[in-house]
Order: sequence, then structure tokens, then C-alpha cells
Amino acid sequence: MAQIFPKWVDRIPSLAGLVVFAAVCGVVGFFWYFGSPWWTDVGYRPRQPVPFSHKLHAGDLGMDCRYCHSQVEQSVHANIPAIATCMNCHSQVLKESPKLLPIREAAASGKPVQWVRVHELPDYAYFDHSAHLRAGVSCFSCHGNIPQEEVVTLRKPLSMSWCLDCHRNPDPHLRPVSEITNLNWEPPADFDRFVREWKQVKRINPPTNCSACHR
Amino acid sequence: MMTPVQTLPTIPDESGSRGINKSYWRSSGELIGDPVFIEQLHREFPEAASELTDPVSRRTFLGLMGASMALAALTGCRRPLETIVPYVKAPEDIVLGRPERYATAMQIAGDTLGLLVTTREGRPVKIDGNALHPSSGGGSSIWAQAAILDLYDPDRSRHIKERGQTRDRSEFVEFLRRLRSEYLARQGEGLAVLSEAYDAPTMARLQSEFRQVFPRARWIVREAVGSASLQSALEVSSGMPCRVRYDYGAADVTLALDADIFGTEPGAVSAARGFARRRNPDSEQKMNRLYVAESNFTLTGANADHRFRIRSSEIAKFTLALAKELNATGGLGLDGMINGLPEGDMTASGRVWLKALAGDLLACRGRSILVAGRHQPASVQALVIALNEALGNRGATVIYSPLPESARIDHSGEQHLASDIAAGSVTGLILLGGNPVYDGGAGVDWKALLNKVPQSLRLGYWEDETSAACRWHLPQAHTLEAWGDAFDASGAPSLAQPQIEPMFGGWSGIELIGFLLTGSEARGYELVRETWRGFLPGVDYESQWRKTLHDGAPAGGGQVLSSVLNVSALTGFIASHWPKTASGIEAVFRPSPALFDGRFANNGWLQELPDPMTKLTWDNAALVSPKSAVQWSLKTGDVVRLELSDAFVEAPVLVLPGHSDDSVTLPLGYGREFGRIAAGVGFNVYRLKPASTSEEGDVAGGLKVVPTGRRSSLATTQEHWSMEGRPIVREASLGEYRENPDFAHDMVPRGAEPSLWKEWQYDQGYQWGMAIDLNSCTGCNVCTIACQSENNIPIVGREQVKRSREMHWIRLDRYFTGPVEDPQSVAQPVGCQHCEMAPCEQVCPVAATNHDAEGLNVMTYNRCVGTRYCSNNCPYKARRFNFFNYTNKLDSLVQMVQNPDVTVRSRGVMEKCTYCIQRINRAKHEAKLEGDRPLRDGDVLPACAEACPAGAIVFGNILDPNSRVSQLKRDARNYELLADINTRPRTSYLARVRNPNPALG
Repeated sequence: MAQIFPKWVDRIPSLAGLVVFAAVCGVVGFFWYFGSPWWTDVGYRPRQPVPFSHKLHAGDLGMDCRYCHSQVEQSVHANIPAIATCMNCHSQVLKESPKLLPIREAAASGKPVQWVRVHELPDYAYFDHSAHLRAGVSCFSCHGNIPQEEVVTLRKPLSMSWCLDCHRNPDPHLRPVSEITNLNWEPPADFDRFVREWKQVKRINPPTNCSACHR
Repeated sequence: MMTPVQTLPTIPDESGSRGINKSYWRSSGELIGDPVFIEQLHREFPEAASELTDPVSRRTFLGLMGASMALAALTGCRRPLETIVPYVKAPEDIVLGRPERYATAMQIAGDTLGLLVTTREGRPVKIDGNALHPSSGGGSSIWAQAAILDLYDPDRSRHIKERGQTRDRSEFVEFLRRLRSEYLARQGEGLAVLSEAYDAPTMARLQSEFRQVFPRARWIVREAVGSASLQSALEVSSGMPCRVRYDYGAADVTLALDADIFGTEPGAVSAARGFARRRNPDSEQKMNRLYVAESNFTLTGANADHRFRIRSSEIAKFTLALAKELNATGGLGLDGMINGLPEGDMTASGRVWLKALAGDLLACRGRSILVAGRHQPASVQALVIALNEALGNRGATVIYSPLPESARIDHSGEQHLASDIAAGSVTGLILLGGNPVYDGGAGVDWKALLNKVPQSLRLGYWEDETSAACRWHLPQAHTLEAWGDAFDASGAPSLAQPQIEPMFGGWSGIELIGFLLTGSEARGYELVRETWRGFLPGVDYESQWRKTLHDGAPAGGGQVLSSVLNVSALTGFIASHWPKTASGIEAVFRPSPALFDGRFANNGWLQELPDPMTKLTWDNAALVSPKSAVQWSLKTGDVVRLELSDAFVEAPVLVLPGHSDDSVTLPLGYGREFGRIAAGVGFNVYRLKPASTSEEGDVAGGLKVVPTGRRSSLATTQEHWSMEGRPIVREASLGEYRENPDFAHDMVPRGAEPSLWKEWQYDQGYQWGMAIDLNSCTGCNVCTIACQSENNIPIVGREQVKRSREMHWIRLDRYFTGPVEDPQSVAQPVGCQHCEMAPCEQVCPVAATNHDAEGLNVMTYNRCVGTRYCSNNCPYKARRFNFFNYTNKLDSLVQMVQNPDVTVRSRGVMEKCTYCIQRINRAKHEAKLEGDRPLRDGDVLPACAEACPAGAIVFGNILDPNSRVSQLKRDARNYELLADINTRPRTSYLARVRNPNPALG
């Protein structure tokens, strides 16, 4: 009896297997890459109601982060400054600037400006700014080089695995508390020794329990 | 479920060894081995708990799911825009995310509690007791805890209304001015004020000014549930209105005569605290003893060392027999008072009981307390006053202080007012709170009466039954929104400061009266400040005012009545008012342990709070004894028609072991006609209740109980979460304890057991643990409510409770022991036990529940996929599952009550006690800010431990040998629940020790 199927048909199952394998890899890889916060979140740069420039204020003018985010060392939140804080200077400087109109209106009417949130954690994750600052983790570790940002952009994924990376190995992110807002700080030559001693002094042992952040 | 029981079958006792053998049962269903109960016992969740039925059927639910998934896919592509709204001008003291606590005081039906209110960025979220205030000592009551939910009640009144039409504030002010000038010209002729009891200095001052400005106007104080009979008796004996404070911490022997001193009587918080202080069997001070004679089985009866079951109408007879016994053996010199009174018959066991009690009371002169329930008639109150006087208790354990007129309840004045309104001689009526249309009682139609008054004005928190009958309705400010003050039980004044601006432009009572006096808007702040100039007489008023406001402690040490009690006046009063024994079946009208007189009816937390004894939620029921139920052929859930004189109501029956025979207890406060929560829940007992008088009690004879043949299903939590007859609660008498202090351990022998699982090391850092002293715990439920408030626990509703889906993280198990007719009862709070070898953790397929380094069994909501394996494997049944999303439909106003430190859980997520991990983290945060100091004992206080008035719950680091919790865990009475299965719980219990009178065996 003549063969019904030609010889190359024998290769179909292995080919099909290969295609399925490639497809599965492709789908997994697709979501791995495009579903990760590195792709979906990093680079988020919403338009703000007032084009406030961190580069100008914190970078060029050299204002300390804590002039505006004044409660960051006591509070779990890094507060967005009150309108009155803006007006401390802007009642004198750029009094007529159209860009600052929303600020002046808010100051006059008492209705606050609604800023768009850039660094957002899920509601079930509880982050404490003050605890991190007191341990010597700089603003830059999570927020990137804000003093160079014209418009605030999300630079880190703020994902759980990213948090855990640092909680498992905090050493590269530690620095003296006096330097936490210093953009130009360079690790000294004896950085390793500093980290060793600092971790002992501050009893730094970042928790990796669920309850550290979730409650 | 409950079948009539006549004999007492026994449950096999598995406790073994030489412990104290008692068999505990939680309902008569269990006691007799009811097949329905047994079936329920063997299910993890009761019937249909896992089936989606009402309110959303499975089909519609799937439909909704499909639609919402499609929507989610569409909207999921866009990032939701979240905004940050900073202050325009930042307040000086507020640090974002840091709770601020402010002292204040709150008065509930004349009972004052000093409180601390937690606010978040200016939003009140939690109420607790103020440790500096003697009324609470840091503890609180269920009502204080739940008051925060009332603040955010979406049904609360928001607008000024005239005949249902919304009016501007200016129009109302115009009306008020007209009213004022009209009655000024007539010296107040035809004007009346019907006020709630304000035991408060500023209202007292304004009231006396009101009498001067409007000399011919009337001011009548009414409360549906108040201490009118006690006030009348005290007024007879001392010649002036008085209040009383009992110091249970100084009492060796207490006799509660139908008085629920730990529940609905005033001063329950300080009573629980004082009582617990003397409840330690190892203390050098003598352990106290509590005798209770009562008809209903109350919380107080459950805590009694000796409980005597007696009808409420026979309390008079009982008190008289006691007085005679005391007089005869102790020579109290009361012959003139009691000899002429008709003697009742006492049973033989009653006589033995009385003799033993009298012996105890005479041995503890000046260190005992007699207290009668406020529904008892004034003559009984008078006799109790005389007995306290004769036993030398006045000034030592029973302290009287003068009461302002604005708190003196005047039922006869109320009746005169009603008849004058009917006659048309009242043209203007101002109602300060209160709700007479609902709770005025049978026989007085307040609705028709109010409609007859041409100018009626109601200041009310809700637009309820009474508002509908009045011409004007004025929204009342919540206690947390208004300036005010209050006298506490000792007569010392405390300040009440607002925590938030009135959200809907509400007025307080003092502001309304202040306006009537001056004709211009009076600010509460200034009215209170003016009053307080008298209390803070020093040179620097401002700094004293600030300190008083900050501390919240009362100014001064209170007043003590100096005049001697006039015993001869009491004699005459008792003789002329002595009650006749009620014939037939008696109806006892008592405030609901949850809703009180009905003022908390629209509060979902309290509606869902299981009654301490019946475990009934979302309903009231006519409580009857098992024997009466058999006699009247009734079962729990049967609907009966209750007839009293011309009035009747239909109500379901609940058979309560230990209740008196031929007596029906009717809890007030249900059957409201307004509000999305209150309306239609339970039946309105006020329809049956004769209008209150100042002399007679709220007990009536001649009740008819007519079966209707219908059934009603009651949502009780009673038979859920069974523990299958193992020695869960351990108990001994003081004598047995002295003989064998290790009795609790001996009940279940246990050695070191190796585990199959990986053993964790818990030898570093903080290791949290809890000890609950069952000897102090009264079972008052405040821990349950405090936990609900702290941890954003949802309300699930009656239908869900019937399916056993209640979400309370702490439940109070109530066990009975002894004969069903006259059992003893114990309560035990049970939440997650935080096992070191937690069975739940082994079975979670996604590791959503696991251990942290500090020994907590933690629940990670965002990981949970809702298999419920953990709940199935939990031997304590302490886990709760969100069968629905109970929170996403909440009104935006109610959302304000949520604690921002705790995740709001969604559907399909398991939850349970976390030991208030947010508070642990908060304490660590604060300690870091205070220079990285380690935590001290007492820094972490879970919500339940903070709220407990008895201090029964102690929490702390078990690695620190000096912490209070470590000390308690070393106590001989300390035991762990189901320790024999090697779960190694972090929560342990201290066994209960009762102190019975040896003379009563």
C-alpha cells in the first residue's frame, strides 16, 4: 500500500512542539518584560497643574529637599508643601508669573492645588519615610536624581521585588544621615567600614516579613 | 433550634484527670444533643455559608462579574490618576500620618465618660477612654466606642427643615428671634422645653437663666431609660436631687438587685474596673464577692458568685426580707421602716441564701454595696438607700452628690405637659433631643400631641419619628462636633471639646438655649468658658483652662453630699409607695444591652454586636425561661402576641436558660421607623410599656402571652464555632484554687511534644504575646467593638450573620454550666491565638498566612486567593472570610470612619486578629523618633486591651521576663487553649476563680 502521508509529515509533531515552546516562551517573555513595573511604571511623567521645576529649585538654587518636604523625617509621608510654603518666596519672587497663577489662586481662595501623584504604592503596602531616612537611606535611592528633573519622573519600579532587593542587601544604599539629601555625595574610600559600623550603631536589620509592609 | 428541656442530660466529660469537673454547654441545643446542632457542629461554616445566595443570586453575580471584567479590561489600559491635595496653610501641630489624641467627655443618658479621641489629619477615627479620668480610667464602653460610627452616619440630619421643607439658616434664625420676642413679652407663658437629661454645668446654668428670662415657661427633663426612681428616692431622703456613685474597688461584698451593673446601669465602665481590681485571688486584699438577684440572666448575673433567680416584681419582697434579716441579726434599727410592710413568702432555698448574704453584709459593714436596677420602683430604691446607710456604706462605697435640675428626670411633669398640650395651653415647645414619639410609651400619643402645638422645634441628630411630628427640625451637632461639659458620677465637671467642625451645620443644645436667652447666636465655646470661670478660680484662667482641656481630667475632686440622709422621710415614703406584687406574668422593660433605649438603633456595629447572653444580633426577642417556655408550649423563634392592658406587640420568643419563670424580659430600643439600618429591625416594646412614672418601676404585671403559630428566624451567633466539649474555659472556686493552684494545668496533662514541622526559633527581638484574665473579664463585648473600630471590620447584616458570616475578629464565647433552669455562665473572648505552630500556615497554598520574626501569625491580604483552607484547619475557628465585598458600596461619609493604617479588605480574602500590628509598627516608629530607644512594656496596646475596662487583656513582649504579660504567663492559673494539640498559642488565658460563700456550699 502506498504511503498516505509523505515523509516530512513525521517532523510535524516536533515542529509543533517547537512552535508551542516558542509561543509559550514568547508569551511569558512578553508579559515578563512588558508586564513588569520596569516597563509599565518607570518613566511615568504626568503633567502637573503647575510646571514646578525641581531642577531649578533643588538643583540650580540648591534648596534642601526638606525645605518643602518638611515632615519627611518625622512622618511616614513626605508631605507635599502647603501653598503657604510656596508663597513664602513667591509673594516676593515672580509675583506676576502666569505659570504660578494656580498657586496664587489657591492662596487667595483657600482651595488647594491638586498635584498628580507620581510615586504611588498600593493601598495595602505601608511605607515609612522617616524610618528609611533615619537608617541613612537617601532620597535618591527611591526617587532618582530629582534635583536634575525638570518634570518629576518615576525612575524606579517601586515593585515588591525591588523593595526586597534593598531589604535583603541594604549596604549600597546607606550613607550618613547628614548626607541623605546631598546629591553630590560620593562614598568615601572606607565605605565598607562605615557600613559595617553604621549598621551596628543603628541596628539596621531590614525586615523581610510580610508584616513589615503589609497589615 | 432550642427544644424544651426538662431534665439535664450530661455531656461526656473529656477533661479527665483531677481537675474541676464541670460540663459546659453553650445552648440547650448542645446540651440535649439536638441533631440539627450536631450537624452544624461538624461543618466548618454553617449551612450554605459557601453558597452565594441573597442578596445577590449566583446567576446575577456571574453576570455582574462578566460585565465588570470586560470593563476592567477596557479601563485597565489607563493609569488611574491619583492626586495629592496639600494644605493651603498647614496647621501647626499636624504631622501627616501621625494620629493625634484629644481629651473630651461624653455623656450617654446622664452617664459621663472621660475620653480620648484619635483624629487623623483632623478627622476623628477612634474613641477610647482617658486614663486620667476616673470615670473610665482608660477603658471605655461599647457605646463610647460605637459613637464614632454615629458621627459618620449617612442618615444623620443635614438640613434645617420646616414641615419637611429645607430652610436656610437665616430663615431659621429669623423664626427663633420671633419666637423669642413673642414669649419674652408673655414671660414664657405657653412655652415649654422638653429636654434630655443634661448632667452638665453649662446646661444647668443656662437652665436657671432660662427660668429667670421666661419665668412662666416650663422646663421638663425626660429620658426613656433613666434613673428617675432612684432620683425620687434620693430626693425624699436628702431633700435635693442627687446622683450616686458606687466605688466597687472598695467593696468586699456587692449585692445587685436586678441591676446590670456591668451592662446597662450607669457607671458600668468604672464598675468593671473597680470590681476587677478586687478579683485577684492572689492579692493580699480580700477577694470580693458578688451576689445578684435578678429575673433576666444578665452579664452581671454571669459574673456573680451567687445568683438568685427571682422575678423583677418580687425584688421588693426580697429586699424587704433581706432588710428584716439584717435588722434582726445586725440590729440596724430599721424596725420602724420595715415592720409595717407586708411580708412576702420566701422559698426555703431563698431563706438560706438570704441568711448567708445577710451574714456577709454584716461582716463587711462599710465595705459593701447594695444597688437596685433603675427599673425598680422608688420604694425599693429608698429601702436600698436606707440599708446602705444602716450598713455604713454611705461615704465609703456609696457616695451621693448633688444633681443639677437639668438632669432631674420629671415624669409627672411630662404627664402634666402632655395633658396641657392636649388642652391647648402649650403654644411653643422646644425638644432638646429625646424621642417621645418613639419612646413615650403606651397610652400617650405624642405624635398627635406634637401636631397640636403650633410652634414646635426639635433639635435632633436624626430626622426620626419625633421630627416628623414637629414643625421645625434643627440638626443637632454630634458630641464630637460641639463644645460642652459634663458632671461625672462624683459631681466633678469635665470639659468636652469638639474634634471637628459640625459637618452639617449642627447646633448643640446649649447653643440653642443660649440663643433663646440672648437673641443672638451664642457660640458653645464662649458659653462653656463662661461657666468654667467658676470652676477654675485661680489667677491665671487661661493656663488652667488649657491644662484642663489638654488633660481631660475633671476639675476638682467632685462634690459629696453633706446633708445627712433623712431616714424618717424615707420610712413614710416607703410605707406609702410600697409596691403590690404583680399578679400573673410580669413584663420587665429593660434597655437593650446594645442599642440602649433606641438611640443607637442606626448604628450597624451595635446592631451586629451579639447580645452578651443570648448572642442575638439584629433583633430583640421576648426572653423567657425554659420552664415557662414548656408551660406555654413555646420554642425559640416562635412569634407570640404580647398583650398588656389595651396594648399589644408581636415578638419572637427566645428561651434563655437561667431566666425567671412567669417573667418576660422585653429589651427596648428596637422597632424604629427611620434610618437605613434601624428601620424594621426588631419590635417596638415601647408600644407595650406603660408611660414611665418617677415612683413606679418599669415592671408591669398581667402580661398575656398568646402564641400566633408563626415562626421567625433569629440571627444568633450562639451555636456557631463550637469547641466540642473540651475544657476551654477552666474554672474553680477560691477554696479549690487554694487547695490546688495548678488546677488549670491538671485539667489537660501535657508534656513536651516534638513537631513534624520545622521549629522556628523565637529567641530574639520582640516576641509578642497576650494573656487574658478570665477572672477580670465580664464579657461586656467592648473588645469586639474596639477591634471592629480599629481594624475596619465590616458590618455584614442579618442574613449573613444567620449564615455565620459575621466578621468580628474577637468573639465572646458564652458557656453555661449547671442545670438549664438555673445555670452559671462564663464568657471567654477568643480571637486568633497566634500559634507558634500554626495549623493555618501549613495548608495555605499561596503562603498568604505565615509567621513573622516576632512570632505573629500574619495575614497578607494581597496574596490571599480565598481557598479557606486556613479557616478549615484553624482549631480555634478564629478566621473570618469576606464572602462579599462589604465595603465598596459604603457611603462616602461612612468611609471616613476607616482607620487609614489598616488595609480595607476586599471580597475573597481571609482575615483575622493581627494583634493590632499597625499599633506595633506605630510604637516602633515613635520609639525610633525618640532616639532609637527600644520599646518599653506598655508601649504597644492593642485596641482590645486599651478598651477593656477591667484590664483583663495584657499584651507585651514575652521575652522580657519583667513585662506584665510574662508575669501573667508565669501565673499558676495560666493555660493555653487546646494546648494538647501542640499549636503553642501566644495568647493564653488565666483560669477563672469564683468566690462563693462557704455558707452556701
